[in-house]
Amino acid sequence: MNRKSDILVVGSGLAGMTAALTAAASGKSVTLLCYGAGSLSISSDCIDVLGYFGGERTKEPFTVMERLPEEHPYRKIGTQAVKTALEWFEKFCAGAGLDLHKPAEGEGNHELITVMGTTKPSWLCPDSHDAACIRDAKHIAVFTVENMKDVHPRLIIDQLKHYPFLADKDFQGFTLPCPIKDARRNITPLDIARYVDKPDGLRWLHENLEAFAGKFDVFLLPPICGMELAQNVWKKLSTELNVRIVEMISIPPAVSGLRLYDVLRKSLNQKGVYLAENVQILSADVEQGKCRALYSEEGQRWEADEFVIATGGLLSGGISTEPGKAWESIFHIPLNVPADIEAWSSPDIFGSSLFARMGVSVGGDLRPLDEGGAILLKNVRFAGRVLGGYDFALEKSGHGVALATGWLAGTLAGKE
Amino acid sequence: MKHTTVVIIGGGATGIGILRDLSMRGVKAVLLEQGGIAAGASSRFHGLLHSGGRYAVKDNEAARECIEENTILRRIGRECVEESEGFFVLTREDDPSYEKIWVDSCEKAGISAAPLDVKDALRLEPNLDPDIRAVYRVPDSSVDGFRLVWHNAMSARRYGGEMLTHHQVIAIDQEGGRVKAVRARNLITGEEVCIACEMVVNAAGSWAAQIVRLVGLDVGVQPDRGTLIAFNHRFTSRIINRLHMSSDGDIFVPHGSITILGTTSFKADRPDDHHVPPEDVLRLLDIGEVLFPQLRSYRILRAFAGTRPLYISNGSAAGRAASRGFHISDHSEEGLEGMLSIFGGKFTTYRLMAEKLCDLLCSKLGVTAKCRTALEPLIADPSPEVLEKARKVFPVHGAELAANRLGDAFPTVVERAEAMKENTLLCECEMVSRAEIEFVANDPASTSLTDVRLRTRLGMGTCQGTFCSLRTIGTLTECGVSFPISPAENLRGFLQERWKGLRPALWGIQAREMELGRAVYAATLNLDGAKHEQEK
Repeated sequence: MNRKSDILVVGSGLAGMTAALTAAASGKSVTLLCYGAGSLSISSDCIDVLGYFGGERTKEPFTVMERLPEEHPYRKIGTQAVKTALEWFEKFCAGAGLDLHKPAEGEGNHELITVMGTTKPSWLCPDSHDAACIRDAKHIAVFTVENMKDVHPRLIIDQLKHYPFLADKDFQGFTLPCPIKDARRNITPLDIARYVDKPDGLRWLHENLEAFAGKFDVFLLPPICGMELAQNVWKKLSTELNVRIVEMISIPPAVSGLRLYDVLRKSLNQKGVYLAENVQILSADVEQGKCRALYSEEGQRWEADEFVIATGGLLSGGISTEPGKAWESIFHIPLNVPADIEAWSSPDIFGSSLFARMGVSVGGDLRPLDEGGAILLKNVRFAGRVLGGYDFALEKSGHGVALATGWLAGTLAGKE
Repeated sequence: MKHTTVVIIGGGATGIGILRDLSMRGVKAVLLEQGGIAAGASSRFHGLLHSGGRYAVKDNEAARECIEENTILRRIGRECVEESEGFFVLTREDDPSYEKIWVDSCEKAGISAAPLDVKDALRLEPNLDPDIRAVYRVPDSSVDGFRLVWHNAMSARRYGGEMLTHHQVIAIDQEGGRVKAVRARNLITGEEVCIACEMVVNAAGSWAAQIVRLVGLDVGVQPDRGTLIAFNHRFTSRIINRLHMSSDGDIFVPHGSITILGTTSFKADRPDDHHVPPEDVLRLLDIGEVLFPQLRSYRILRAFAGTRPLYISNGSAAGRAASRGFHISDHSEEGLEGMLSIFGGKFTTYRLMAEKLCDLLCSKLGVTAKCRTALEPLIADPSPEVLEKARKVFPVHGAELAANRLGDAFPTVVERAEAMKENTLLCECEMVSRAEIEFVANDPASTSLTDVRLRTRLGMGTCQGTFCSLRTIGTLTECGVSFPISPAENLRGFLQERWKGLRPALWGIQAREMELGRAVYAATLNLDGAKHEQEK
């Protein structure tokens, strides 16, 4: 079977969906191939652009961007492209009913709070995750829901108090009764967030938080303020209870990442992007440095004029490895890595590891380059974690790189 | 100053076995262990309860000891043993002339080795290479080394035996050619203890030579590093041995839902040399593939290493050729009264080693009580009433698992679970519930999340702690269990241990898992950044 479109995007993480949206804006026909849920299901809707540089927290990402190593994707595409992409995204999200804000002029990165009781720098985030208010607060209530395994107020409080600027705050922990019966063993923030989208659920949350209103300056909640209706729920509760509500960032299943995922999916449908689920691309038909089509598992051929590859890294399968060898999974572009396996990783789990920066080398237009710097494929662009030269985990730059490179790859593909 | 009759140094199978044996004979004893219980080779091996088949040709005496002890342990420690049986498999690469020698040697040692038609063997173990030439069934079993040592410890405690973990021996005091006392430092608090005693037993395994040096003597114990791989699949239901002269990477042992492949044999510089070079992993895969052709497609959970305490008497062989037999030294022959050392040996025969040593020790003390360790089960079976109660508060299959893990403590944990509103399952892979984790974490022997992991198997399954470690540290903080280190440090330490086990196998599915772990704990939870920003 054959399917032909102008632009084919592979990968349904933030990079792939962004690329498909910007490509579709050109008016060309776009197909997006998905295999699995994409990385938004394990992350969040906050766009970390560059939280750390050289092990130090950055005040804001752009002034240090120029000092990143040359192979970093931000250096490849330039700071201006990153800024433009972020502006585009802010506008796009606002139009889709998910307001993400950058920090106020002169303020540094947003401060997010996690269910581990740590803080994390981020650039764009919805109001519900913005924890700036905690600095001026005196009395802070930390909530969980009965039988929610991953959120424990005492741990969060204990850890937050290890930060000098929070050491003197009055923190108190509370457990809300579980509203979902017969699922007691497996309550995650996602279960509650879905429940809160319903009128009963919203009423439950309102009633249970009401008793604490007026007594605390800030409520720290697991990410449970709804899914589709999250923004409205948060606003309504904040106004009615007259309190600052902050949703903490949690581990998978990632509630707020899925909120963004839903928004992007909806937009893709509205823009007429053809989505094909559960399609794993295994190989490519390349002729004279030009890709003609990709082949999926069932032997189906996906033809296009332009391709964007946003297949992710090691975790998502965009990069394949064998002992001492690494390559890009679709085009089998070899990655330059040492044969010594121990040299791939740091002895420290949070040290600087080579495998974390392993990925495709590209030019400023995101087309892949060979070792001599010549373009390998004229009509293929790479975006997101499949790119080399950066460490999303240590830098807190995952969504920033995905968004900026996805935006650029889609835009450029649309112009061809 | 504390007083006791015997101080035992080393909390591995041998030391704890000796503690149990002495305690059952009514001899007062205190055991000192520098780490946690069974932190050395007793938990760092493939978990094979030998039938003796492996030693039949080379050391028939050791083989006979193995089959006898194997039979005893299946009886007294059945909660720790999975009677999986074993195959000895002659592959296309093995010398067929060895087969007959091996069969005869097994018969001589009293090991039942019944031939099995290759077709039938492949029906039972379909992942084996179809081109194998001959198969024999032997009574090998899988044993949980860690649990067996703990159950021995519980039994010893019941008889009054005392254990001090995280206590490192710093000196052995002597007076007039006699041992007088042992001094040790608590590695967590820094406190020193001095224990006056009549006898000292050195059962420090790979560290035994260091202990002997404390009294100014010397001995030939060579630590020998063995690397092992744990796979995330039970691709064999039986223990699979190669039918050839013992070599590297020729044993597969299934445990629960995983399989362990081992081992290599390399001279180690230090007894705590647990570094796993990737070459060891690749070598094990190369050799293992001869038995299981699909081996490389299975996900590796971790690679790990232990050091065997090989005893080298003057001029004898080292490494693979060194004897797996044991040796007891009475240091009075060198002019020091009151100190015995036990060297070498292997896990399967730990009980026998303890018995022999205690016989000698008791004759010196004038104690006439006989060894009873082979007669009495390590722990009593839980009563049907307790099991019935447990089934209501544990997940379906989890009650049995918890009973086997917990031994004596099971009824207490069941009570704790009953008192809870909900006994939440914290580790879904290994079915470990909150009541059990809380109980173990509150044990003074637990000083970190890693200690809890070892005793409960928390985080040892498919997720390798990616999802259960945060919720466990959260739960423990919530219910007020405090460790000497902060929750964040605890979590980092726990994740670091897992990391160590994956680094030498960083490719394929393992690389994906490593990226996921970093995504959750660095990118989402910022545990790395917090390390420098949170105050101690």
